[in-house]
Amino acid sequence: MAEQRLAMRTQFPASAESLKPRLKKAPEFPILEKQNWLIHLHYIRKDYEACKDVIKEQLQETQGLCEYAIYVQALIFRLEGNIQESLELFQTCAVLSPQSADNLKQVARSLFLLGKHKAATEVYNEAAKLNQKDWEICHNLGVCYIYLKQLDKAQDQLHNALHLNRHDLTYIMLGKIHLLEGDLDKAIEIYKKAVEFSPENTELLTTLGLLYLQLGIYQKAFEHLGNALTYDPTNYKAILAAGSMMQTHGDFDVALTKYRIVACAVPESPPLWNNIGMCFFGKKKYVAAISCLKRANYLAPFDWKILYNLGLVHLTMQQYASAFHFLSAAINFQPKMGELYMLLAVALTNLEDTENARRAYTEAVRLDKCNPLVNLNYAVLLYNQGEERGALAQYQEMEKKVNLLKDSSSLEFDPEMVEMAQKLGAALQVGEALVWTKPVKDPKSKQRTTSTGVGGTSQLTKPASLPLEPEPTVEAQPTEASAQIREK
Amino acid sequence: MAAASSSDSDSGRAESEASSKWLDAHYDPMANIHTFSACLQLADLHGDGEYKLVVGDLGPGGQQPRLKVLKGPTVLSESPLPALPAAAATFLMEQHEPRTPALALASGPCVYVYKNLRPYFKFSLPQLPPNPLEQDLWNQAKEDRIDPLTLKEMLEGIREKAEVPLSVQSLRFLQLELSEMEAFVNQHKSKSIRRQTVITTMTTLKKNLADEDAVSCLVLGTENKELLVLDPEAFTVLAKISLPSVPVFLEVSGQFDVEFRLAAACRNGNIYMLRRDSKRPKYCIELSAQPVGLVRVHKVLVVGSNQDSLHGFTHKGKRLWAVQMPAAILTMNLLEQRSQGLQAVMAGLANGEVRIYRDKALLSIVRTPDAVTSLCFGRYGREDHTLIMTTRGGGLIIKILKRTAVFVEGGGEAGPPPAQAMKLNMPRKTRLYVDQTLREREAGTAMHRTFQADLYLLRLRAARAYAQALESSLSPVSATAREPLKLHAVVQGLGPTFKLTLHLQNTSTARPILGLLVCFLYNEGLYALPRAFFKVPLLVPGLSYPLETFVESLSDKGISDIIKVLVLREGQSAPLLSAHINMPVSEGLAAA
Repeated sequence: MAEQRLAMRTQFPASAESLKPRLKKAPEFPILEKQNWLIHLHYIRKDYEACKDVIKEQLQETQGLCEYAIYVQALIFRLEGNIQESLELFQTCAVLSPQSADNLKQVARSLFLLGKHKAATEVYNEAAKLNQKDWEICHNLGVCYIYLKQLDKAQDQLHNALHLNRHDLTYIMLGKIHLLEGDLDKAIEIYKKAVEFSPENTELLTTLGLLYLQLGIYQKAFEHLGNALTYDPTNYKAILAAGSMMQTHGDFDVALTKYRIVACAVPESPPLWNNIGMCFFGKKKYVAAISCLKRANYLAPFDWKILYNLGLVHLTMQQYASAFHFLSAAINFQPKMGELYMLLAVALTNLEDTENARRAYTEAVRLDKCNPLVNLNYAVLLYNQGEERGALAQYQEMEKKVNLLKDSSSLEFDPEMVEMAQKLGAALQVGEALVWTKPVKDPKSKQRTTSTGVGGTSQLTKPASLPLEPEPTVEAQPTEASAQIREK
Repeated sequence: MAAASSSDSDSGRAESEASSKWLDAHYDPMANIHTFSACLQLADLHGDGEYKLVVGDLGPGGQQPRLKVLKGPTVLSESPLPALPAAAATFLMEQHEPRTPALALASGPCVYVYKNLRPYFKFSLPQLPPNPLEQDLWNQAKEDRIDPLTLKEMLEGIREKAEVPLSVQSLRFLQLELSEMEAFVNQHKSKSIRRQTVITTMTTLKKNLADEDAVSCLVLGTENKELLVLDPEAFTVLAKISLPSVPVFLEVSGQFDVEFRLAAACRNGNIYMLRRDSKRPKYCIELSAQPVGLVRVHKVLVVGSNQDSLHGFTHKGKRLWAVQMPAAILTMNLLEQRSQGLQAVMAGLANGEVRIYRDKALLSIVRTPDAVTSLCFGRYGREDHTLIMTTRGGGLIIKILKRTAVFVEGGGEAGPPPAQAMKLNMPRKTRLYVDQTLREREAGTAMHRTFQADLYLLRLRAARAYAQALESSLSPVSATAREPLKLHAVVQGLGPTFKLTLHLQNTSTARPILGLLVCFLYNEGLYALPRAFFKVPLLVPGLSYPLETFVESLSDKGISDIIKVLVLREGQSAPLLSAHINMPVSEGLAAA
């Protein structure tokens, strides 16, 4: 029975004749799925040209009846960006075999990519009827609902998906929902579970680290970021976040070494150059700081944080005219931050424009709720103008804020600021105020700008404020507010 | 054969020959072998201790399927195949001496079995049961008890909801036009309807002994989402297992009669794990990507995904580890070095590397001149450790692992990444910058004041110019509420004749504008226009009306001037809007 083989070869081209109606003997039909395996093998190897050739051949032979060939053709179209065409092909597939959940899933996916989330959810729901135990359907439904802003439904679907089968992606989307809702604690819960499930996923580790950073839980943040870096030492998000933490602790050299890796991977990242600039600022290399910050500003001209830092460095360099420009640009992008107005006022004071400086201080005092430095600087200006009453009022306002801060956090006050406040207190004859009872320790790492002539400077190192947006753009912001106090 | 004429220029590439673990035995870029790892097999086909390479070759472009047998660098025999080979396997069929393995080639719905390289047996997959309703319909058609139109309707009904899909015959019928149906039914009604499936993958499974040279069964994966286990002697189906999707890669261990574990990577991106007694998959790995290779290393299942990563899984589908690859994985296979007790995974990548991994640890990288699309490792000729690779362009590479070679882990993976040692690319500052900085320190206040004063002046001038433009309707957009208009002009041509096109648009939402005039003001010594003044037709809202006119340049001195366009309302002397057109220099004259 083995000997029929030699005759086999001629048998296959027979399909071309199948259309001739007057043949006595009915021709054999080719098997529709004859080359599906080959199409699939080419497809998974990303050899799309070869794949298309086989598809074409197969479709010709079967007169367009081979569902899988159309299906893969549609997948390739989608990869090439022709989403509309791929959608049409998937719909053809759905006609050829209406019972297949896979086709419906792909139709829905194409609709999703076209941004038709509503239509996509409908098709996914249809597919879910055919195949109820598919995490992918649940997951994608969840993602669609996120885009449709139906977060409750999205959560339900994603939890369903997790119930069917756990995937990192589902955890990430679920975490995103909580972040969209502004619920950091729940998001952290989700990410913790996710990290437990897949402890080597650096994206999960980094995100969790960043969330801890936002909440100010530095120990855990550093732990997770460190883990992420162990598995992937070139993960730039984690490096930037960890680097910014090192910066707040004054480890500028270590941070700089780490930033080198990022500079190789993403040389055009604005937060990177911002952080490098602030490292140099911390090391008192002001020219280098300015050139790095200017590059950051060139890469992201609308980022007020970079402009803020540029303003700060220029103030330190006593380039008040330049500082004025950077700060006013920053205010244009971020008009709701008291410290910015205060810095602007400092610049204006030094540019001998007292009138506008006062206006800026008024705005700063109006906007700021917790930084005593704003009031102190304002008080000094008023005192220098000879308005002791106004100065006193600001001084008392400052005392209130200081008391509040002492109750709520273990923040150290900058010794220079304390000194200045005491001097002013004495001058205003309010006596030795008792607000500075906390011993001031470790004054070494605080930087102060050298000042010529009348200006004395003081700085307050605030707790590093890290990016509050849940987006993964890491942006460290060593905010060091400088203030100029003119002595009497 | 022709392939043997390859250049022996291997000695030229002595780069790191001495330090490398591999000896370059043979490289023929023109070997014309296009295949997959599943179609590569090493076997002692003649029982003489000389191992041959069996290649199920798809031919260039998948056009000339051939069975090739290679011995050393030469092709020993070559025979055409009836259809493209999906997989090749060598296995022992019976206990008799001499113990030469048989060769099985899966192709289409058949398995061709060769012994001593001679055709021995052809196994065809059993026909699938047709849909009974469909069968019934065609039987009615046979007896002419049903007309083609009803037949079509009924068949469509079956296609909509039936569990068992229709046969090709019915599907073809459903595609036909009304006029062709009659003939088709007459031609085909006498035939019984058939459903045939195709083999997608094949592997072997020991029958009842774990020995190296024990009798093995063939395990087939079909397009019909089934796995079949064949008896090695009688070629009957011993077991049939159905899967949720079409199998692409199979990995089996154990013995059929005792206990076996089977992993099947399927087209839906999942990997299903089965045991002997399970009729349904016991565990499932959802990869959320397409698997491109499946290899078992000791007890770990290593899966390559089309997202450029390797994953390790336990038998129960628990993920152990994942490694990212620098490029897409094209093919994978097992490397077994018996003398060292080493099992590792080889992965051929799209960037022309073959990487060898033991679990997560990279053991070695073999660089090849072209991307490797299929590979296998084993005894070839009389050499125990031979690596055989075929490339995308149809080349064949044979490398021999040195007998002294020992794979060690950690090829410079530890420590900080090299990027950390690179210097930061800092922007430099010039002397001029420093000087300017010093100047700013000295005269900052004055600079600031000058700047502010200039800024105020600039704003003032801008506001004045704007007010003036509004007053005299100089702007190309009219601001009046009654005639919201927009005008822009295009000049085409090199000269001396230019074409001037005015695009006039009524920007109101609903109201058409009637009774507009266009007037050109120009230096009559320089330019001539056929009409300097004309009426504008009714302007429908939203549309842009192109109004064309020719401008003749009269001067031969290569000078140009401004032409002013005024749009007026009938009976009003103040223009609604105006545009100044800077005419280009007439190049036609300049050249003459």
